Amino acid sequence: MKLTHFVATTWSVALMSTSALAGSHLAQGRDGNVNIIYWQAVSILNPFLSGGTKDIDASNLILEPLARYDQDGNMVPWLATEIPTVENGGVSEDLTSITWNIKPGIKWSDGTDFTAADVVFTAEYCMNEDGGCKQTTSFSDVESVVADDDLTVTVTFTKPKPFHYGAFVGGTSPILQAAQFKDCVGAAAPNCTEQNFNPIGTGPFMVNEFRANDVVTMVANPNYRDPSKPAFASLTFKGGGDAASAGRAVLETGEFDYAWNLQIDPTVLADMAEAGNGTVVSSFGTAVERMMVNMTNPSADLGDKRSTLEGGPHPFLSDPAVRRALSIAIDRNLLAEVGYGAAGTATCNVVPAPTIYASTANDECLVQNIELANQVLDDAGWARGADGIREKDGVRLSILYQTSTNAVRQDTQALVKQWWTEIGVETELKNIDAAVFFGGDQSSPDTFQKFFADIEMYTNLFDGTDPEAYMNSWTCAEIPSPENNWLGSNMPRYCNADYDALATELSETAAIEDRARIVMKMNDMLMAEGAMIPLVHRGRVSAHANSLNGVILNTWDSEMWNAADWTRGE
Amino acid sequence: MLDSAEEPLVRVRDLKMHFPIYKGLMKRQVGAVKAVDGISFDIFEGETLGLVGESGCGKSTVGRCVLRLYDILSGSVVLDGQEIADLNGPDLRAKRPEMQMIFQDPQACLNPRMTVGSIISEPLFEHKKMTKEERRSKVAELMDAVGLARRFADRYPHEFSGGQRQRIGIARALALNPKFIVCDEPIAALDVSIQAQVVNLLEDLQDKLGLTYLFISHDLSMVRHLADRVAVMYLGRFVELAPSETLYTNPQHPYTQALLSAVPHPDPAQAGGVDRIILKGDVPSPAAPPTGCTFHTRCPRAIDICKKDAPEWRQIGDGHFGACHLID
Amino acid sequence: MLNYTIRRLMFTIPTLLFISFVIFLILDLAPNDPTGNLPMTIPPEVREKIRISLGLDAPMYVRYLLWCKQFFINEPLNLIGEWFNICIGACEDRLRVRSWATRSPVVDLIAERMPQTLWVVGMSYVVSIVIALPIGVISAYKQYSWFDQIGTFVSMIGFSIPTFFTGVMLIVIFSVWVPNDSIFWLPSIYDTTHKVTDWSSFWFQMRQMVMPVMVLALYNAAQLSRFMRASMLDNLSQDYVRTARAKGLKEKTVLLVHVLRNSMIPVVTVIALSVPQVFGGAIITEQIFRVNGLGQLLIIGIQGADIPLVQTLTFVFAVLIVLFNLVADILYGLLDPRIRYD
Repeated sequence: MKLTHFVATTWSVALMSTSALAGSHLAQGRDGNVNIIYWQAVSILNPFLSGGTKDIDASNLILEPLARYDQDGNMVPWLATEIPTVENGGVSEDLTSITWNIKPGIKWSDGTDFTAADVVFTAEYCMNEDGGCKQTTSFSDVESVVADDDLTVTVTFTKPKPFHYGAFVGGTSPILQAAQFKDCVGAAAPNCTEQNFNPIGTGPFMVNEFRANDVVTMVANPNYRDPSKPAFASLTFKGGGDAASAGRAVLETGEFDYAWNLQIDPTVLADMAEAGNGTVVSSFGTAVERMMVNMTNPSADLGDKRSTLEGGPHPFLSDPAVRRALSIAIDRNLLAEVGYGAAGTATCNVVPAPTIYASTANDECLVQNIELANQVLDDAGWARGADGIREKDGVRLSILYQTSTNAVRQDTQALVKQWWTEIGVETELKNIDAAVFFGGDQSSPDTFQKFFADIEMYTNLFDGTDPEAYMNSWTCAEIPSPENNWLGSNMPRYCNADYDALATELSETAAIEDRARIVMKMNDMLMAEGAMIPLVHRGRVSAHANSLNGVILNTWDSEMWNAADWTRGE
Repeated sequence: MLDSAEEPLVRVRDLKMHFPIYKGLMKRQVGAVKAVDGISFDIFEGETLGLVGESGCGKSTVGRCVLRLYDILSGSVVLDGQEIADLNGPDLRAKRPEMQMIFQDPQACLNPRMTVGSIISEPLFEHKKMTKEERRSKVAELMDAVGLARRFADRYPHEFSGGQRQRIGIARALALNPKFIVCDEPIAALDVSIQAQVVNLLEDLQDKLGLTYLFISHDLSMVRHLADRVAVMYLGRFVELAPSETLYTNPQHPYTQALLSAVPHPDPAQAGGVDRIILKGDVPSPAAPPTGCTFHTRCPRAIDICKKDAPEWRQIGDGHFGACHLID
Repeated sequence: MLNYTIRRLMFTIPTLLFISFVIFLILDLAPNDPTGNLPMTIPPEVREKIRISLGLDAPMYVRYLLWCKQFFINEPLNLIGEWFNICIGACEDRLRVRSWATRSPVVDLIAERMPQTLWVVGMSYVVSIVIALPIGVISAYKQYSWFDQIGTFVSMIGFSIPTFFTGVMLIVIFSVWVPNDSIFWLPSIYDTTHKVTDWSSFWFQMRQMVMPVMVLALYNAAQLSRFMRASMLDNLSQDYVRTARAKGLKEKTVLLVHVLRNSMIPVVTVIALSVPQVFGGAIITEQIFRVNGLGQLLIIGIQGADIPLVQTLTFVFAVLIVLFNLVADILYGLLDPRIRYD
């Protein structure tokens, strides 16, 4: 009798709790399934072992960092209670350490507690020399990461670090579970297939099934900190194919809810959007399509000294007048419109964003001016020869212009060639397969680091919102040469003591306004000297179904940053 | 022969067989090869009619038409009192057992994926209601009859020599007890030493089973040896037909004379008396045969009329027929 | 025949070793780099470290021998271990061939993709055979008839229009134009995780297979029907067909027993020789419909300069090609009594 009573009570309690849950219209998993398509397939769900955006985005549905950037590039606390600053005491006065406080009560999807030990472990995991971690930049200058207590972590730097938010901030630096990865440190990291394919996280979803290079299916994390999120009970993250068909699957056939990075002909995308199933969204980060101007001589006659400082300056690109003429002869607005549509705007800066860093000093080049370009060249003594090509002292303005193989880039090349012809500059175009061009194969002469050409074009950007490491790219020490195995990011071989001094100053300055001033100065210096010719500020274009609410496209962090807030509308 | 009271086993009248020529993108018919162009003859029961001529003259086509392996263009073929020229489908198949063919190439005419036993017994399936045992003994019997060891029944055709294959072909042809057999150059592909064996086998079988042969060959001496009567063919038409001895000793048509003059004589001393007649030029295309007498382009004795009028097929002696303006 | 097979198999060992070396050499010489597709934000020093962690700093012959050891010794041992659930030697530490992009054993990736490949590409192959053989037979039997003319035209189209065109055309028609709620609507993206449990899920599986299967089948059938037709025409004019008719056999028997059986000899060998294609998958079609076949795996590997994956897959294809060449030869010997080995 007693037992019956007990059972009945338990039942009624259970029933009440279920009905309570059902009564709330904000229960987790209320909106069924959401389908996401990336035209590159996910290879691995451990972001530390992959640099690919697709892998990082997929893993960001599962793994989370301590803080993220929002759509405007502002930092927001994620697993931390607040953003540590010097003002709130989270960052030491001498800028050598930063202390993070973790939100209490956060659980891993397996139900165990998320603690500072996991954060410490993540740092050890990535900083291990033998692990092949691809996100070591996040941990640069980190001396130690220590757990002060279960909810407090202190990161100590080897030197004063004005920008101290590298580690554990943003989609590329999330936290791994120590318990799961403890045997996967160092050389063992790549062999932990089970862990790398099924990481346990704190995020809104957890892996149900992962098929490498194909599809990930996920289900809502029952231990997620907000019981009403995510709205979707399951998620399919399909990969592969091409951008056009991914766009079609969202905008035309309606099979998918979200398509990533639709780098396709703007007119084709506009046609697809007319079907009315979905919305094209775009957002601008720091990516700039630019030309790198080779300041050194790439002549093959120089042998080993080709495209190095020892090989001497470039026969004609060393003349600032030529660099300026080349830049103002280009109609950037047309390039942006033809090649990028909504995903591009003309720019004259290598740092176009965030707004506080964006300079306006170089806007001369926003308007094409062939007449002025001709004038500049005439004044500098470059006279047109019999064939209309300018020359001076036996040097012809003949340019080898290389880039990676890509329809938009070849269109751009063709347009630029035409404009340069109008100012008496001869252009030879070359395109190289991306895997070769951007690959670092020492034996290939066609890498962008070797730069055996006069002009090369590609897109570069920086992660997060702080451009310090990015600006460092153009210091003398970063010039690629045979001595450093062509490792270096200063493609123009630009070397200026004043610039290097500014870089040093930047690394010692903490106040954001001062940093912005220095970065702008560096940007303007690069532009005025013509080491680079920026063309188009490139945004990210994605598309989502009209029935998918809550999508906020974010170029400062993973695109999946707020997937927990996504819901299904009408 | 037409006045003979005896009814012939095979009666062919005005047989015509033209092969269409397709050309062009849409493969339209642009003409026809007149392989057989109006031929008449009879074959009597137990007789062997020889049919000779150069290659490409239509001899084999005549054989195949008579057996209705082709749908003939026009004419009449009566076998054993029944008109078979317009038979088709099941009716024609029912007639097949009475008439058979022995082919020139003993390799090509045997299905390479079937054993000898199944090749010989296949028609028995189709036409006779026999048990497995009966069929087996019939196959053995036939193999005995053509001089093949019974144990060879499970082998494939390619495992045999040319002469043996031809024996298989003969056994196959005999399986349904036919009355009439067309031998289409049955020895042309064989070694000379084997030829005689096969010819003797054919003769023995004729004696034993009372077979009637249409023996097609370009080997004039073999035909002389084997045939009771001989027909000579040129460009789809008969030019001369006569009892064997008559034709060989007294050929009337210039073409026959030319053919016979080319036969090497066993005794060169005797051969000296005969002048060899060398025919000039090639055989004209049967797609566009010459006007008048088709032979006039190569005839050493052609006269004007030969170019205009085709000579009439008429009797020129006792059982001797010919078509030539020069024969009186 | 057995001796012949054994002799041939023994001969394949040095052949395959040579092939594996050539593949390795070509991949090594190709100016391709596994860090080439990483975002630009990863600095060159980190890229170099990544290269070293992948073992790319070792000399070429060392890397080749390592691959040989992993593929020819470790993988088979691992396979045996998994089958019989036993541990041979140091099974925990044994290095397997690992993909650089996924960090998982390549053999597991291949095994995971095998079912879809066989389902879709294999099915398309079966469909193409089922379509092509009757078309080839009828076209040959009724040569120059309207059926033959149409067959020629259709196979010309099927052969000359690339699959990336037919594939996208079908998607535009059946996924975009046809409304979503119509029964003629077909999914343009293959759901690789779909499991067939009942009739409705089976029906869905059929629907999602229709387009990729038909695109591939049209292409294959075009080739195969031409081949079948040519082979039939060769045999139809043979004397043994005349023999068969002279025997008084029914036309159906003549055609299906005599002509077809002989015509099938070369066709069967062609079919056998193309079986490795099925395993190789159909790179373009799989990419369009996002079928996770081996072809798609290969193209992803190539794009990402995932050398161990490309090396292993290419070698597996080479093994299949060599083996099916042998199978084709043996089949030829079995089907055609005129062919005798030894």
